[in-house]
Amino acid sequence: MWLIALLVALVATIQLRSEAEVQRSLVGTDATSLAFLIDDLHRANDSLDAEKADLTSLRARLQSGQSGAADQVLQSEADRLRAIEGLIAVHGPGIVMEIDASGLTALDLQDALNNLAAGGAEATDVNGHRLVMGVPIYQTSDGVAIDGVTVSPPWTISVIGDPNRLGLIADLMAQQLRADRRVRQATYRVEADVVIRSVVSAKPFVYAIPS
Amino acid sequence: MSPRHLGSAVLVAIVALATGFVLAGQIKAQLLTPSNQLARYQALVRSVQELEVTNADSRRQIAALRGQIDTLESDAAARSAQTQALRNQVSDLRTHAGLVAVRGPGVEVDLRNGFPGPDTGGQTGYLINFQDVQDVVYLLFAQGAEGIAVNDRRITPLTAFSGSAGEVVIDQGPPQSSPIKITAVGDRNKMVAALDDPSALPGIRARQIQFQLHLTFQGSPDLALPPYDSSLQITHVSPA
Repeated sequence: MWLIALLVALVATIQLRSEAEVQRSLVGTDATSLAFLIDDLHRANDSLDAEKADLTSLRARLQSGQSGAADQVLQSEADRLRAIEGLIAVHGPGIVMEIDASGLTALDLQDALNNLAAGGAEATDVNGHRLVMGVPIYQTSDGVAIDGVTVSPPWTISVIGDPNRLGLIADLMAQQLRADRRVRQATYRVEADVVIRSVVSAKPFVYAIPS
Repeated sequence: MSPRHLGSAVLVAIVALATGFVLAGQIKAQLLTPSNQLARYQALVRSVQELEVTNADSRRQIAALRGQIDTLESDAAARSAQTQALRNQVSDLRTHAGLVAVRGPGVEVDLRNGFPGPDTGGQTGYLINFQDVQDVVYLLFAQGAEGIAVNDRRITPLTAFSGSAGEVVIDQGPPQSSPIKITAVGDRNKMVAALDDPSALPGIRARQIQFQLHLTFQGSPDLALPPYDSSLQITHVSPA
C-alpha cells in the first residue's frame, strides 16, 4: 500500500516537473518572432519562385535557338545588371524622403538605407549620390561621407521600388526620426515617377578573381 | 488481518485515492494550457522548417538554372563574335553583382553571442543581431572589400539585413544565428587595420565589454566566396 502511494506521488511529481520544464521552454520562445519569420519566409519564397520562373523563361529562349535570341537575352541582362549596380540613370515609382538634422552619423544613414532596402528599394540616391550596397558610407571629422564626398544635411533620399511597401517603411522611419532630438524635420512623399540620374563609378576588381 | 492493520490499509487507500484525485485535477487544470501552447508552438516550428526546406530547394534550383543558362550562353558565344563580346560584358557585370564565385586575399570575421549578464533584465545585447552584421559589412566595403559573404550568403548591390534578436536574415535566405562568419575578399591589409581600430564598430566593442560578445578576425591570402543564389529582380526600375 505504502509502495503504491509512493509510486503515485513519484509519477505525479515527475509528470508535473516535466510539464513545468516544457512550460519554461515555451516562456523562453517568442512565438511572435516565429510568426514574423513565417511571414518573411513566405515573402522570400514568393520572390524565389518569381526568380525561378524568370530564369526558366530565359533558358527556354536560349534553348529555342532562334536567331539573335542569345544576343537579346544578354543585352537585356546587361541592362538589368547595370541598373542593379547603379551604373545607369533610372526612373520608376517610389518615395522621396527629406531629413533635416544635425549630428546624424554614418550609422544613421546606413540604418535608413538598410530599412529602405528591406522594404524593396531597387535604386537609391542621397543628395545626388547613387547608393548600392558596396558604396562606402563612413564617418569623417566633417560628417558623413559617401564614396569620399561629405554629404551634409538636409538629406534628400530618393528611392525607386514598390511605392506601397516603401511608403509604409518611410512612414515608420519618419515617425522614429521625429522622436529623435537631433532631427528638425523628417518627411516623405510617394511619387509616381522618381528619376535618379546619379550613377556609381564602375571600379574594376583588383583582388577578387572569378573562380 | 487485525482490525488495526485493516484500519491502516483503509486509511492509506483513502489518502492515495485523495492524492490521485487532487493530482489528476492539478494535472488537468494546469497542464491542458501548456499542452495546447506546445501544440501551437510545434505547429509554428513545423511551418518554419517546411518553409526553410522549400527555401533551400528553390535556391538550389536557381543555382542550377543559372548554371544551365551560362552553358547555353557560352555555346551561343562560341558561334558569334558579337555574342561573345556581349557575354564578356555580362560576365563582368555578374561578377560585380555577386552572381559569380570569386576568390582572393581577404579577411574572415567571426562573430559569436556573448553571455547574458545577471542584471540585464531581458535585454538581448549579448546576442549577435543583424545590425552587427550590417556594421561589419559596411566597414569592410568602406575599407576595400570587393566581395563579401555572410555564412556563405553572398552580399549583392541590393542586399538588405533584417531579423529579430539573435537572428540575422539576409535577402531571401533563411534566418541565421551565432556563430556568424563574414568573409571578405579585397584589400586585406586595409580591412585588417580597420578591424584593429578600437574606434571602429563602437556598438560591438561596447557589448564585448558588457556581454563578452565575441569578435575575432584573421587575414588570409586566399579566400573563396560563393555566388549569390537568390532573387535579384527589379520590377519597378526602368532606364531613364
